[in-house]
Amino acid sequence: MKFIDPHIHVTSRTTDDYEAMAKAGVAAIIEPAFWLGQPRTNVGSFQDYFSSLVGFEKFRAAQFGIRHYCTIGLNSKEANNEALAEQVMEIMPLFLAKENVVAVGEIGFDDMTALEEKYLRLQLEMAKEVDLPVLIHTPHRNKKQGTYRSMDIIEEHEIPPHLVVIDHNNEETCEEVLRRGYWAAFTIYPKTKMGNERMVEIVKKYGPERIIVDSSADWGVSDPLAVPKTGNLMLERGVPQEHVELTCYKNALAAYGQSGQFEESDWLTPEPIDQRTLFEGNSVLRGGQAPRVDKPEDDRIIQ
Amino acid sequence: MSYTPVQLLENWILRQASDSGQAWLDTQREAVATGDLKSLYMAFGFAPRKIGKADLQLTERDYNDAAEARPGWMPHTWTIDQAARVLLLMSLPAEDDAAFFVTLEKLFQTAEIREQICLYQSLQLLPHQELFDDRLSEGTRTNVKSIFESIAHHNPLPMELMSEQAWNQMVLKALFIGTALDPIEGLDRRVNPELARMLIDFAHERRAAKRPIPVELWRVAAPFADEIALEDMKALYASGEQLEQSAIALALVSTASDEADDILKTNPEIAKRAESGEITWRDIAQQAY
Ligand SMILES: [Zn+2]
Repeated sequence: MKFIDPHIHVTSRTTDDYEAMAKAGVAAIIEPAFWLGQPRTNVGSFQDYFSSLVGFEKFRAAQFGIRHYCTIGLNSKEANNEALAEQVMEIMPLFLAKENVVAVGEIGFDDMTALEEKYLRLQLEMAKEVDLPVLIHTPHRNKKQGTYRSMDIIEEHEIPPHLVVIDHNNEETCEEVLRRGYWAAFTIYPKTKMGNERMVEIVKKYGPERIIVDSSADWGVSDPLAVPKTGNLMLERGVPQEHVELTCYKNALAAYGQSGQFEESDWLTPEPIDQRTLFEGNSVLRGGQAPRVDKPEDDRIIQ
Repeated sequence: MSYTPVQLLENWILRQASDSGQAWLDTQREAVATGDLKSLYMAFGFAPRKIGKADLQLTERDYNDAAEARPGWMPHTWTIDQAARVLLLMSLPAEDDAAFFVTLEKLFQTAEIREQICLYQSLQLLPHQELFDDRLSEGTRTNVKSIFESIAHHNPLPMELMSEQAWNQMVLKALFIGTALDPIEGLDRRVNPELARMLIDFAHERRAAKRPIPVELWRVAAPFADEIALEDMKALYASGEQLEQSAIALALVSTASDEADDILKTNPEIAKRAESGEITWRDIAQQAY
């Protein structure tokens, strides 16, 4: 079975993770622009980070057989530095039109400050201008209020709910998010957000429609295999296969496919090798290292 | 009659683009011509979505027109979005060279892979090329092969702009990452003793590591081969694979030294084929990669 992990921060993961993900059936991933664990002090850091999301990381993922997409946005925590936020907003037009950008995100609330709201609104307008879906990050604290407030604001800006993914839901928030017509995403993130046994129960209770499973794996203690592990657990616990396919693959495809930049044919029938973009011929390996060969090797020998 | 690069790009796009794509491009070029940078940045990004990504369908005649309009221009691998993007860049006001440079650098710094390929190929048609020699060297430091090739291959700018040091690094790196030398414009014209020395050292490293030596290396190393290099060539000429033997014969034929002739005599059959033009560097490059 194939999986999509539509929310993972692979910039902070190793090539071992990519290998394990590909082996577990992860065909495509989306990397939302988010913070790096510590605040950035100048716009250059954002520029280089965005560049790596649309360039090098896409390239690196392809080396391991995984299609990489991303979302571009100013995250909620860093929206609180107004001088910096203004500069980030200025460079966003350079990135929103890139070929692997499938949404504006992840944007939303953290502390629910006035500045967070200001930049959420400005970025919602930007999403309308470039005709892209939106990925909403909901806060860890005061989650229910933050989630409802985000939806109210989206409705004020007249963005239809089918164009918006609300992420990091839990048992408390998902009913309202689904009721209002949004995509409801769930982060399987150990100890903090959502365990996968709870996720199985949610799918059993609400059904598979508009529910999306992701890992949000990043620089914290997290699991890049969270989506395939959850899919397999669902099957084991009696969730029908088609519900697993919807929540761990097809719903993400439908939601982000609305960007026009996220199509199954990209990974099922990749374009023939092209000398200009030739991913297969490119390398993240240092000079002289052998490329990956799909047979077991004697791992005591370093060639 | 001869055409300007702008006219050629316009004609090629006109042949292949939809009416709506064409109209979109015209509007964007007008906006960019007023110096509107936000329009440039957005249009540059959106070009493939609006105008498509198909290969340009070019004829021999088109290639000849291109070479006439800009000597060295070889748009053999160009796509329609690339042509559109270059037209957008060519619409940008360029009287102020410093401002032009800053805008282009901004695009380079934020470009994804296909955009970088396009930008490096576009420079040969843009004004103020002389400001971009450091940018070309910077680009060759990439570890994405297709970006490297957009600078090194079918691009006259490295030959025209790069310092000897940067040029030598580019040629050495091409061998190092396993990409062909033959499509480097000006390759034979810019050979130099320092480059030959670097390549011969590289050949020795490869022998020590028991890894094959790229056959095109001898094309650049042979004109300045020292005694040790000649020994290497002699050994490979005697016992190497057929492609290696052909490459060494071709390299030795062009040096026309007594030592070279002595080596060639040890296998007159291949030497004859090299002398008669039956073997070419283009064939060798095509077989090697
Ligand atoms: Zn995230």
